[in-house]
Amino acid sequence: MLRAGRAPRVLSVTELALMLRSALETGVGTVWVGGEISNLKRPASGHLYFTLKDKQTQLAAVMFRSAAQVLVFQPTDGMDVVVRARADVYPARGSLQLYVEAMEPRGLGALTLAYEQLKAKLLAEGLFADERKRPLPRWPRAVGIVTALHGAAIHDIRTVLRRRWPAATVVVRPVRVQGRGAASEIAAGIADLNRLADVDVLIVGRGGGSLEDLWAFNEEVVAQAIAASTVPVVSAVGHEVDITIADFVADARAPTPTAAASLVVPDAAEVADGVARADAALRRALARRVSTARERLVALDRRLGDPARRVRDLTLRVDELGSRAHRAVARRLAWDGRELAALGARLERAGPIARLASARGQLEAAAGRLRFAAAMRVRHTRAALERTAAQLDALSPLACLERGYAIVRRGDAAGAVVTDAAVLRPGDAVALVFARSRARARVEDTEG
Amino acid sequence: MADAAPRFEEALAELEGLVQRLEKGELPLEESLVAFERGVNLVRLLTQRLADVEQRVEVLLKTEAGKLIRRPLEDEEQ
Repeated sequence: MLRAGRAPRVLSVTELALMLRSALETGVGTVWVGGEISNLKRPASGHLYFTLKDKQTQLAAVMFRSAAQVLVFQPTDGMDVVVRARADVYPARGSLQLYVEAMEPRGLGALTLAYEQLKAKLLAEGLFADERKRPLPRWPRAVGIVTALHGAAIHDIRTVLRRRWPAATVVVRPVRVQGRGAASEIAAGIADLNRLADVDVLIVGRGGGSLEDLWAFNEEVVAQAIAASTVPVVSAVGHEVDITIADFVADARAPTPTAAASLVVPDAAEVADGVARADAALRRALARRVSTARERLVALDRRLGDPARRVRDLTLRVDELGSRAHRAVARRLAWDGRELAALGARLERAGPIARLASARGQLEAAAGRLRFAAAMRVRHTRAALERTAAQLDALSPLACLERGYAIVRRGDAAGAVVTDAAVLRPGDAVALVFARSRARARVEDTEG
Repeated sequence: MADAAPRFEEALAELEGLVQRLEKGELPLEESLVAFERGVNLVRLLTQRLADVEQRVEVLLKTEAGKLIRRPLEDEEQ
């Protein structure tokens, strides 16, 4: 309701908006405010639009690209954050809006959050997978190093490489390792060495420092460059216990640049020992080989034996075979002889001479039988005669004498036969005639 | 080092192979002698290379024109 009198000053909408803006600027200014992010949008412009709210209230907020791109972490819906912002009116829509200049996660530090976020993301992408890890070359001819040109790291690495394996060429790609832009430089350095330097292995790293100092090695661009490297990468960041994202992606992780250098090249002293051992083994093996050959030679020589003895043995053998041959031939001849004789005999038996002989034989046999029969007749006759004579003989007194009788003759053997003792006187001489002998006796007495 | 000469690792691998073959004792004597001679030459070569080599250090630098060039590192150390 307008009153009469002094007319109130009527403002244009724009004027009011500007007044509000001014009031906000002087009355509120830049403040730190905490709340939860919701309804986050991230259009192609790169600006971030979101609502910052608490339990009761919500305020629209924008974070322009210039501010948003330096965020190390990714804001997400539901994230509890503290923002530095100024409240302002967006004249075109007349809406109150927070213009966010900086943002920190509430609770843990921004870097820690960023680290955890990137780690989770790359893990999900599989960049840390063991099967991605490539073996380091055993004999690198060239080692690429991405680090600051003047620093402890490069010094340590070069010292170790020179001591352990001077044969390897070292190609350094100098980069800034901390501060804004360091991460991109490191990533570019990795790519450059891959592209241009013909190196067999890469060391990417720096000396120790705070989490902020090492931050470049926790940035995604570096992680992706390591993952994209065709050459195996050894990460070597600091002496800290913390593991950087680069460590997770790298093919091998060394706790210090010195350790990384030891990891990528062999130790010349050890290799020289190995060569010396190989040399010794070579000589031993050859000596053994020669001695086995010699032993075999000796053994074969022994088996070969004394040639003279061999000749003697062979001579004996030849002689033996010769005599066996002779015997065999002789046996054969003898056999043939017998065969011949038998055949001859058979021939003779079969021929006319044989028949003549056979006839003569029969004749002779017949003559023989005749002679034999005649002889037998004579013998029979004689036997009969003898038998008759014996019978005659048995009848003779002489036969009595044969049986033990004796004839007593008076005087001597020519005397008369005494057939009675009465003719005899004691003292008479008598002869006792036995069958084939006689005895002289004297009569002692007579009886009868 | 001439290109005709074998690379260090190849020479070392060959040496290891020769030692193994010789140690198995399966090579004919004549070949054993050849292998041994070759091995001894390799030992000499490898030992010499280990002793001789000076480390070469280069820097990959970006020129003003944005091209990358390799330069020997002028050594400020020692």
